[in-house]
Amino acid sequence: MNIKIALAGNPNCGKTTLYNAITGSTEYVGNRPGVTVEEKEAKLKWNKEVIIMDLPGIYSLSPYTSEEVISREYIIEKTPDVILNVVDGSNIERNLYLTTQLIETGIPVVIGLNMMDIVNKSGDVIDISKLEKTLDCPVIPISALKGTGLKEVCEKAVKMAESKKTSNIKIFSNKIENYISQTKELIKDIDFTISKKWFAVKIFENDEEIIKTLNLNNNKKSILDNIISSAEKDFDDDTESIITNERYTFIEKTVASAVKKGSKEKLSFSDKIDKIVTNRIAALPIFAVVMFIVYYISVTSIGSDLTDWANDGVFGDGWHLPFTTEKYNESVENFENAQLKIDTFKSAALENGIDTEAFEEQMEAEEPDISVINEFIEKTKYIKAEPIDNNAFTTAVKEKDFPKINIFVAAAEANEIPADVFKEEIESENPNQEIINSFIADTKDIVSEEVDNFAFVEALEIEEPNPEEFGIWVPGIPVLAESALDSINASEWVKSLVLDGIIGGVGAVLGFVPQILILFFLLAILEDCGYMARIAFILDRIFRKFGLSGKSFIPVIVGTGCGVPGIMASRTIENNNDRRLTIMTTTFIPCGAKLPIIALIAGALFKNAGWVAPSAYFLGIFAIIFSGIVLKRLQAFKGDPAPFVMELPAYHFPAVKGLFIHMWDKGKAFIKKAGTIIFLACAVIWFLQSFNLNLEMVENAEDSMLASLGKIIAPLFKPLGFGNWEASVATVTGLVAKENVVGTFGVLYGVEDVAENGVEYWAMLREAFTPVTAYAFLAFNLLCAPCFAAIGAIRREMASFKWTVFAIIYQTLLAYVAALLINLWGTAIWLNGSFAAPIILTIIIIGFILFIFINSSKKTVPITA
Amino acid sequence: MPLTMVKSGEPQTIRKINGKDDTKKFLETLGIIKGEKLTVLTKTGGNVIVNVKNSRIAISKSMAMRILVQEAVK
Repeated sequence: MNIKIALAGNPNCGKTTLYNAITGSTEYVGNRPGVTVEEKEAKLKWNKEVIIMDLPGIYSLSPYTSEEVISREYIIEKTPDVILNVVDGSNIERNLYLTTQLIETGIPVVIGLNMMDIVNKSGDVIDISKLEKTLDCPVIPISALKGTGLKEVCEKAVKMAESKKTSNIKIFSNKIENYISQTKELIKDIDFTISKKWFAVKIFENDEEIIKTLNLNNNKKSILDNIISSAEKDFDDDTESIITNERYTFIEKTVASAVKKGSKEKLSFSDKIDKIVTNRIAALPIFAVVMFIVYYISVTSIGSDLTDWANDGVFGDGWHLPFTTEKYNESVENFENAQLKIDTFKSAALENGIDTEAFEEQMEAEEPDISVINEFIEKTKYIKAEPIDNNAFTTAVKEKDFPKINIFVAAAEANEIPADVFKEEIESENPNQEIINSFIADTKDIVSEEVDNFAFVEALEIEEPNPEEFGIWVPGIPVLAESALDSINASEWVKSLVLDGIIGGVGAVLGFVPQILILFFLLAILEDCGYMARIAFILDRIFRKFGLSGKSFIPVIVGTGCGVPGIMASRTIENNNDRRLTIMTTTFIPCGAKLPIIALIAGALFKNAGWVAPSAYFLGIFAIIFSGIVLKRLQAFKGDPAPFVMELPAYHFPAVKGLFIHMWDKGKAFIKKAGTIIFLACAVIWFLQSFNLNLEMVENAEDSMLASLGKIIAPLFKPLGFGNWEASVATVTGLVAKENVVGTFGVLYGVEDVAENGVEYWAMLREAFTPVTAYAFLAFNLLCAPCFAAIGAIRREMASFKWTVFAIIYQTLLAYVAALLINLWGTAIWLNGSFAAPIILTIIIIGFILFIFINSSKKTVPITA
Repeated sequence: MPLTMVKSGEPQTIRKINGKDDTKKFLETLGIIKGEKLTVLTKTGGNVIVNVKNSRIAISKSMAMRILVQEAVK
């Protein structure tokens, strides 16, 4: 026979730590109330017939938040065989409050007295046997963290489940017991899964939900009302408060007899930290610095270094072990520099009428004839390539002086200015003057190097570096895959599917795993040390001004890792309107999977400018605050958020093992996604872009069926500035998973090229986007409907199809308008566009917002007749 | 005197909690009930962190104003 043990206890008392220890699971443990928001089930390590349920932490069985409802419903409806009540010994009075309610359910209760080390340290002494006697149930000291007493407490729980022995204590005074027996009389004909007494107390407390489920007839209802009102008159308080007071009176007596208080409490270490961290003036700057450090490490510094390694190394040409790739890259740069000098010098020689053909032939030969090379060096003794600046280049372009143009273009390319388009134009019969001019403008700071004969000879001596001389060269996955495919003589299309489709797409996504791992690691530190709960408190002051509670900010911060747990974290918000609002706005903040999009746009269009990533977070926060202000005006979201009340956990040093487990779990989920859904999506996209509607393989993706499909939706995005079919397709595939946007571009542009330090791939993006339209694209993808997983989470949390649809439409609409504004204003300001359109649009939007405001203030006017 | 006005660090006894809403009941389950002792640890613009039954509870200004206390006899 299976035995069900339910773990119940206050938030943050160590239930999940205990659960992990006795079941061998690796559920995430955080240091704030409300980390576990779902029930979880696993088998006991030592006895597979025992099932352990981990429930969200609750302070009482009178539910105020939806996570408390889950725990209560589980206990009432699924009636576990025994409740293992985890009690935080360092906070015993408050914890026993729930215990008195659990005992009342008539289910056997075993108490696991946790955190005894803290109790001992504080000098308090708890008399276990006295406690057992007054509570009439077994009490076993445990340490969930160190693993002591766990087997014992589980064995005891199993024994209690078998014997079905329940506690028989009297908690309330005779006067109250009298009232409760009267209410018990009202429900004597109803069958309950748990004790009648518990229900009697609940309806005496006027618990509306319980009363509703009991379906009392009108007669009984009025008797109940009578009982309640006479009790309320008797005690001059509402019945729920009376019961609460009685419970605490009982607990005080219990604690007074069983606990000997040690030294007097003084300001603990935690309190001292709080004095600084929640200080009126310092709180916000400290918060800003902490968040800046988190994102600086994960997005900008270490994170981006690791991402470069993953993208250019593992999913590029290859990398070195130990990490000497940098040295190798230096040598490569050195070599390329020398090649540039040689080319420059050759062009100068050509200009001076010296034939370079024989020399070039020898340079490319396997065994060059030294005498020919020496002869060339001798002949060019007095040749000198003069430096060419932008002015000289402009003249050269006018005169079609190709040797000079080539020298300058090579110098520009060495400075990572893409020149392919320009080269094509300048060689054509009728060059497009606009492209020529824009290239000239792009290169205004470029000056080609002066090269004389001496420098030329020096450059000739620099050999191409051999990667193997710099440590163990680990070839990149594309390189390995290509040689493997070549060795089995794979056909061209298989090679294209594997290299362009799968490795290109999945690799582009996996390249960001290190960055995401670091972000999750740092967020876990914030949670585990106890700072996350303070953030909610600190920001409550500000958020309240916009009609939101500080508790809305925890979902946002969790959401910077992943939107799904972010949305679920909204369960700690009591007010239903606020919860809905928070669910709708949580995914505005860039999640881990949106980082690749930011990195891509920042790298390709903004030369990795430092402001791009922070601006994405500010955009998200702005969207949240804007939504708070505007939506709060709608009837459906009206009402002030519930006053902020939250227990603050004591600070402690994060458990390193837990941090790594958490990081790995999240990373694993991400990698799994890349291996399954993104793998599939990439294969499908590759197929769609490689074949046309007649299922013939196409040379040019322009003719593919993906292009046909993309062109259908592209006009929708035209006003936002990215109406090309590639960007449209990428946006849509982002619904599968946001990182898929990058994967899609990878497939579309054939990321194989990314191996060559990404410039070619980026160059293609630069052709498709201007910085303005790229930022509009970024804004739209950050704010619009989230990925399917997050939409699913919204659906679950809203528990309403209507609300889910509303949320998605609102998000997408907001994204559309934001991107439109960015595109129009950006074009007007930086690209000499017209100012009329953005001004008109802005006026319309402001008018619309004013309309909502005026309309709502009308409705709030109280009607007095 | 409302909780928002007391000096931090000095033990207080709860005299009354105004209102009849869920937040009041939630506070009571946390042990903030009539007759209980508490100490304000920090105050930031009306928002307070109190020590009650050896746990730290953060309470926003609007709720703290509804908790009436009196200096406890030492």
